[in-house]
Amino acid sequence: MNVSRRKKSIIQAVSILSITTLLFGCSNPNEGSDNKKNKDTLTMAWPRDIGEMNPHVYNPSQLFAQSMVYEPLVHYAEGGKLEPFLAKSWDISKDGKTYTFTLRDDVKFSDGSTFDATIVKKNFDAVLKNKALHSWLGFISKIEKTEAVDKQTFRMTLSEAYYPTIQELAVVRPVRFLGEAGFPKNGDTSKGVEQEVGTGPWVLDEYKADQYATFKVNKNYWGPKPKVKKIKVDIIPDAESRVLAFEKGDIDLIFGEGAISVDAYNQLKATKSYKTTMSEPVATRLLIMNTKKKQLADERVRQALQYGFDKKTLVEGITSGLEAPADFILPPNLPYTSKLNVEKRDFDVEKAKTLLDEAGWKLPDGKKVREKDGQPLQVEMMYDAAELVQKAMAETLQSEWANIGVDLKIVGVELPDQVQRFKDNKFDINMYSNFGAPYDPHTFVNIIGTDGFGFKEAISAYPNKDQLLKEMKDVLKTTDETKRQAMYAEILPSLQDQGALVPISYLKKMAIYQSDVTNFKFAANRDESPFAQIGIK
Amino acid sequence: MGVYILKRVGSIIPILLLAILLLTAMIHLSPVDPAEAYLSAAHIQPTEEVLAQKRAEFGLDQSFLTQYVTTVARLARFDFGTSYVSGKPVLDEVLLRLPATLQLAMTSLFLAIIVSIPLGFLAGIRKNGFFDHLSRVIAFIGASIPSFWLGYLLIFFFAVQLDLLPVGGIGSPSHVILPAITLALPLIALYTRLLRTSVIETMREPYVQFARTRGIRETVILGKHVLRVAIPPMITGLGMNLGKLLTGTIIVETVFSWPGFGRYFIEAIFDRDMPIIQGYVFLAALLFIGSSLLVDLLQLAIDPRIARKGGNRR
Repeated sequence: MNVSRRKKSIIQAVSILSITTLLFGCSNPNEGSDNKKNKDTLTMAWPRDIGEMNPHVYNPSQLFAQSMVYEPLVHYAEGGKLEPFLAKSWDISKDGKTYTFTLRDDVKFSDGSTFDATIVKKNFDAVLKNKALHSWLGFISKIEKTEAVDKQTFRMTLSEAYYPTIQELAVVRPVRFLGEAGFPKNGDTSKGVEQEVGTGPWVLDEYKADQYATFKVNKNYWGPKPKVKKIKVDIIPDAESRVLAFEKGDIDLIFGEGAISVDAYNQLKATKSYKTTMSEPVATRLLIMNTKKKQLADERVRQALQYGFDKKTLVEGITSGLEAPADFILPPNLPYTSKLNVEKRDFDVEKAKTLLDEAGWKLPDGKKVREKDGQPLQVEMMYDAAELVQKAMAETLQSEWANIGVDLKIVGVELPDQVQRFKDNKFDINMYSNFGAPYDPHTFVNIIGTDGFGFKEAISAYPNKDQLLKEMKDVLKTTDETKRQAMYAEILPSLQDQGALVPISYLKKMAIYQSDVTNFKFAANRDESPFAQIGIK
Repeated sequence: MGVYILKRVGSIIPILLLAILLLTAMIHLSPVDPAEAYLSAAHIQPTEEVLAQKRAEFGLDQSFLTQYVTTVARLARFDFGTSYVSGKPVLDEVLLRLPATLQLAMTSLFLAIIVSIPLGFLAGIRKNGFFDHLSRVIAFIGASIPSFWLGYLLIFFFAVQLDLLPVGGIGSPSHVILPAITLALPLIALYTRLLRTSVIETMREPYVQFARTRGIRETVILGKHVLRVAIPPMITGLGMNLGKLLTGTIIVETVFSWPGFGRYFIEAIFDRDMPIIQGYVFLAALLFIGSSLLVDLLQLAIDPRIARKGGNRR
């Protein structure tokens, strides 16, 4: 009797404890949903902490956040057009070495201080203190002299002509402008800034590392004022948790490349409760075939592999329309990349087989893999194991190429490993995507032509390799616009036609947002934030 | 006893030295150059000049032995170095995030204790009864469902469908509930079964049978004799799992956007931020060794014969 009573009281105690715990927990049930009722604040999810708000540093600072606070001299607009921004005009000397910028006279920093040639020079000089680190941006290592000619005129002299200078001035880092109050005493911003003072439409308001950051409108902003008063960035590292937070209504907007899985995107889209949109192509997903490898040195084999798979079905099947099948190695919405004359290689199994036969790779009776001189036709493809799209594409290619007698081995590796193996030339076929706007086409041709990036070696079997490498160096120095266009029209198709660089699909950014979010539009620059026009109904 | 304690504490040093050796070897064995990983994560196309500069800055241009000795000397002073990525001292980065991790781990531990003690005890005294079956179901779920999956399920039901709790983040007490349950469930599964077994074994002991024949009330027998004897093995289990609990927060923190150190560690792995990785592994090793030492000393306090046995063995 006693035991049973005691048992009951234990059960009661446990029940009370559990209920109390639950009630205690639920005392503030809408803690995470505060934002959804606030029409002035747009809440978005981002996988990583925004990092330091310093215009002159890299990781872990997030590009989109830097672009909210700091602005460039030149704006990269749709179709690769370069428009005046903080510089209202510029003049390039005939020899292509001297750049003279006339600055806007109505720009103020968020603390009210004036934006003029002196501060532009100070920023450039701070960047040049770490020239080596920034030298990946071609024009930086060529800067010889910077001058504040007068209040509104800034002049920059290069050691040699370099046409992409204007285009490179549009990138997010490290050539955007910090106000005087942001500079440390020694002027070296690489170790940190005093205050996050920029000319951009937003200023950092609140920040909690790894949790969230809020940006409010810059009262001194010179351009059109943003429609929402605040942007809140919730840091949610896990893609599935991002989707769940969005479904709950805590998040208004998710955007980016691969921000959520293809399945989750399509599932949310299918509910028709939310709005979805895709950007213009931002880069191309490519296969890089290493022509140093015996099997791939023969152009007929490379072409056969291209004829041997159905690109349209592959891309649409795997990405469910999130990526588009690509015909060109660079998206045609970049400068100098449209209207290129390249040979299209559509799916044609018979043609693929004929080409392989011609190349001497015959299919022995009763075997499934072609052979030449007793050696089987085996190639290896490496992909980033963490990227599901790459994995699925590699697997599909494996089965497609098996049909034409090619044994494809696929190897999933970690991204840093993939980059390293590519550079060390330890690969047969690599999956790669180029830089996109605002870096290409010049960054692309530059790294193809430079030692130690994997490309130069990959195209080493091209008969016109030397000519191509020379042209890739020369095009960057060309001051004549027409000549430059003609050179790109020769370089890019030649790189593609000889089959070592195979376009697969155009990468796009995705965005999914709640139905009360209006005017969402992707920036043409791959790295910039899309908050300029956005509003909430 | 003093000698035993000294020996036990002394054994930590070679273990830590070995851990540091493995950590230093990690950098050398990895096919990826941390300097390159840093630059490619920053979307910088690395030139040889920058690479050399970064390698020198990170101390990667030194020999294996120099790197090992430097690391030992540094860690002995509790100097964890500077993060490659953020440029801030590793200790600052750890201290910024450790309170959140500790809060989550301690809540989970508390939850595991308050659930598993009554449940394990009830399951033990009434074998094959309701609580025994319940404990079996919990043990099955706790041992078989991966943490991240359980996390998603909990978020889906309690945060999205029922709108009772937040999806993730930190701030109010409600934020800690779902991650704590996710982290505690495997522990509850383990401790409940551990206590259950211990209770059943103790109930079979002759002194319990003797107490019964003496006509002592069942409640007194259960409380004074069974529970008191059955709990110490569980304490050992708790101690052994303390390190595991803290490292187990890695996945839970990611799923629940909990701003702790586990999640930061994942980012460090992707960035190949070696000082952060080294700092974390070193602290985790210290924690594992420390908690196991604590358990040994606790057991020693309960049963001093251990020291003699230990002494004999040596």
